[in-house]
Amino acid sequence: MSGTLNRREVLSGSVLGVAAAGLGGAALGAAGPDAVAATPAAAAQGSPARAEIVLRVNGRDRLLAIDPRTTLLDALREHMALTGSKKGCDHGQCGACTVHVDGRRVLSCLTLAVAVQGKAVTTIEGLSAGDRLHPMQQAFIAHDAFQCGYCTPGQIMSAVACVHEGHAGSPAEIREYMSGNLCRCAAYPNIVAAIEDARNQMERS
Amino acid sequence: MGRYHRPLALADALATLAGGPATVVAGGTDVFPARLGRPFAEDVLDITGITALKGIGLDGGWLRIGALATWSELAQAPLPPWLDGIRRAAREVGGVQIQNAGTVVGNLCNASPAADGVPSLLALDAEVELASSAGLRRIPVAEFVLGNRRTARRPEELATALLIPEPGPGARSSFEKLGARRYLVISIAMAAAVLEPAADGTVGRIRVAVGACGPVARRLPALEAALRGLPLGPDLAGTVTPAHLDGLSPIDDVRGTAEYRREAALVLVRRAIRTLTEQA
Repeated sequence: MSGTLNRREVLSGSVLGVAAAGLGGAALGAAGPDAVAATPAAAAQGSPARAEIVLRVNGRDRLLAIDPRTTLLDALREHMALTGSKKGCDHGQCGACTVHVDGRRVLSCLTLAVAVQGKAVTTIEGLSAGDRLHPMQQAFIAHDAFQCGYCTPGQIMSAVACVHEGHAGSPAEIREYMSGNLCRCAAYPNIVAAIEDARNQMERS
Repeated sequence: MGRYHRPLALADALATLAGGPATVVAGGTDVFPARLGRPFAEDVLDITGITALKGIGLDGGWLRIGALATWSELAQAPLPPWLDGIRRAAREVGGVQIQNAGTVVGNLCNASPAADGVPSLLALDAEVELASSAGLRRIPVAEFVLGNRRTARRPEELATALLIPEPGPGARSSFEKLGARRYLVISIAMAAAVLEPAADGTVGRIRVAVGACGPVARRLPALEAALRGLPLGPDLAGTVTPAHLDGLSPIDDVRGTAEYRREAALVLVRRAIRTLTEQA
């Protein structure tokens, strides 16, 4: 937990306040102290309750009012206009939606946005330093490590984490630890070459 | 549309479950894919805020794996060699992104016949800790998984940890998985083995389990009995016969036929045992 808002306050205080405004006192009582979503009655009325959450994405705090069941991927793409993270399969098989949460790579399609409050989310949009590309981005260009490019943001986010984890020591190790990212254009040899190149640069800097 | 709960205290989570059934979510790597394009109609209990459920550690002769411990944490924790098998399994569960989110306890509770963690847990004689507002109980993993997607967890209970008893001196373990490709694949068959060597260089106790060859993973008691007392050497793996695998009940499905699974299981069991003898 960090930041100015306490999670419990967000979940049970202010959000229930939002819910209560839409639902009325009776529904609030039914929802209980730690519930943030709507009751079935509210859904029937077409007024789903929204959770008000603060997400720290690429170093910026953003306040969102979203359905608490919204995935991090949908929150990024639909509510923050950060469309770099791609929705490939939407069920954890392709890796195109890979982002970092507190420095660890996760699949944003299998993560609820409300569950990463107080954590630092980094997406492909947050990787470069202004106009200066991250060494991994530069290496993907230099090695032509893509064709259609759809999987590339996820590949690059995964690759950066792979190097930080110390799992980029050899082509075989890179292949194992990048196995969560599929490339249907099969640019794998160039992806492995790009990661080896970027690893050397990242270790030097 | 159901309610979404994210308590920070275990007692609050148990109170929620006491109030009615809810889908428990930890890593979410099984829950979300199972309902692609279909919103949660039921209540959801997100346990990721409960700090008390985190961590992996040895304590008083038991290894405790908290309900929020991920496969990555298991793979990276400084643990003794008798856990090499399940740590090997940890690296075979999806890719790293899945391993960073998916939990060992969740893999068990999801009760897929192809759950990568279960054969090792069976071979390790692991127990599940279940908590409810009424208190705690512990049951062996072998009694916890009842069938395809069915467990002995009652709706008001939360699986809070796995507990693995420390085996005898010199114990070691192995794990073998067969998929249609090397990584990121659902198992066609798996084998796990745990060996406690005897002082005279023979098999003291050995426990072998096979997964994805029936509705639940299962131990091979006939094989375990046959191997006891045999010399620990390169010939041990060859003593495994198809008859030792008679308890398995594999099915035909998209990943392979029953006949192929039976053959694969035999090869994997032999490999798992060979790995144990080579570690000596």
